[in-house]
Amino acid sequence: MRAATETKSERISASAEAQPRIRISRAGMRYDAAQVFRDIDLDIGNREVVAIIGPSGCGKTTLLRCIDGLLPLTSGELRLEGEPVRGPREGVAMVFQHFGLFPWKTVAQNVAYGLKLAGRGADAIAAKVAECIELVGLAGFEHYYPWQISGGMQQRCGLARALAVEPRVLLMDEPFGAVDAQTREILQFELLKIWEMRPTTMVFVTHSIEEAVLMGDRIVVLKGRPSTVHEVVEVDLPRPRERRTLTLPRFAQLREHVWSTLMAEALRAEYEVRK
Amino acid sequence: MRPQRTWLRRITIASSLVLGAVVWQVAGQFASDAFWAPLSATLASLVGVAKSGVLLRQALSSFELYLAGLAVAVAVGALLGMLLARVGWLRVALEDYIMMLYATPMVALIPFILSIMGFGFAPKVLVVFLFAVFPMLYNTIEGARSVRPELVEVARSFHSGEWRLWCDVMIPHTLPFMMTGLRQAIARGLVGMVAAEFFLSPSGLGQMIMMGSQNFDTAGMLAAILLIVLLGVGLMDLGRWLERRFAPWRAYQP
Repeated sequence: MRAATETKSERISASAEAQPRIRISRAGMRYDAAQVFRDIDLDIGNREVVAIIGPSGCGKTTLLRCIDGLLPLTSGELRLEGEPVRGPREGVAMVFQHFGLFPWKTVAQNVAYGLKLAGRGADAIAAKVAECIELVGLAGFEHYYPWQISGGMQQRCGLARALAVEPRVLLMDEPFGAVDAQTREILQFELLKIWEMRPTTMVFVTHSIEEAVLMGDRIVVLKGRPSTVHEVVEVDLPRPRERRTLTLPRFAQLREHVWSTLMAEALRAEYEVRK
Repeated sequence: MRPQRTWLRRITIASSLVLGAVVWQVAGQFASDAFWAPLSATLASLVGVAKSGVLLRQALSSFELYLAGLAVAVAVGALLGMLLARVGWLRVALEDYIMMLYATPMVALIPFILSIMGFGFAPKVLVVFLFAVFPMLYNTIEGARSVRPELVEVARSFHSGEWRLWCDVMIPHTLPFMMTGLRQAIARGLVGMVAAEFFLSPSGLGQMIMMGSQNFDTAGMLAAILLIVLLGVGLMDLGRWLERRFAPWRAYQP
């Protein structure tokens, strides 16, 4: 099953060498009177990891949901592998901020969810579920319910559910925003390890500058009201990224750079009063 | 709770029940037969009707009515509730009627039901239904509407169709709320049953109470009341058990 998907994705990338996995052009989003973001242009390549960062309310999550096809853009265009995005589609999977696990399903049943909807056979599902649960380090917890396990384990489960459908694009909405700081670090490094094993295009939204620098190939900084792409920071840190990466002088430099870019905006956002 | 406390609790409950029985017995000895019967006479009367087969017949008749009304109420409440939760304009259109009927003491509608439907089995089922349907409907709507938007989004993100969304998300999420509705419907349905048996064609345990009262057979009347009380307690326990059984994840907040 995996071999088939691999060949398919190879073929797609070969047939359109210059074509990015995701192309966002002049994207804008408006809720009634409020323009959330506008004129966003962004190409995301195969196996590229892109972090989207910006102050609260800048529309990071909204943009991610647009890429997933959950929300339609109000202007501009979004293409995935050359095709316009008109709704959620095969090949894209999302990891949710609050895990999005079904409390009435066990870990294994949650992981199997996407595969079941895709209509895979029972044997294929069982094999894939076991593999993904092993991959995220949840072996032995298959039959627990989400409310019986810790936040970190719940997000491992959410990650396994997304990986199970073998996405060519993995979207993550503040994936580690709802877990404690130590767990967050553990999960970051684990995700990096998993990505090294099976690199896919990854787009994630985060509030954490460190996380963006540690994981991303590029960091897209959104700013302004309505927000636009303020800067795209190239993260030229070597891979594989590991704990050691955090100690590199270049890491500190990049972190400071992003921090100073965001600082003024974050202060302004903090003192903003709703009108 | 520590074991001694549990024992203390049990002893207190037991003493309270025994004291209640004693008060009933003693009060019955002194009061006129027309108003009050001692516990012993009540129990004797209960054994009497049980032996003659009257009790079983009447209880079955009551239960038939109760279950028919409750079953229709649960089915209608659950299905209509899910539909209203998902179809916005229908909910907006019907919401006010539902609130009005929910707030109406159903007893007020019985003369009206009598005048249009007469004395058959059907109008009585309707009364039980009306008593029981609203808690079921109301809780189902509230439950289905309280589904976390993130979970609906998860389903959409994994390309779930509407039908799968119902099976995987809406129904499992709403089930515990339906059980709360069911518990309330169980209690209100019992009230409906007795009301229907009083005010429409007399039958079942309600008829036993009425006849006992009219014939100054106080012991017989109290026997039927006691039976309804015990039935109510049992059904409430069943309702609470169902509610717990279906909601291990109710408190889950990620």
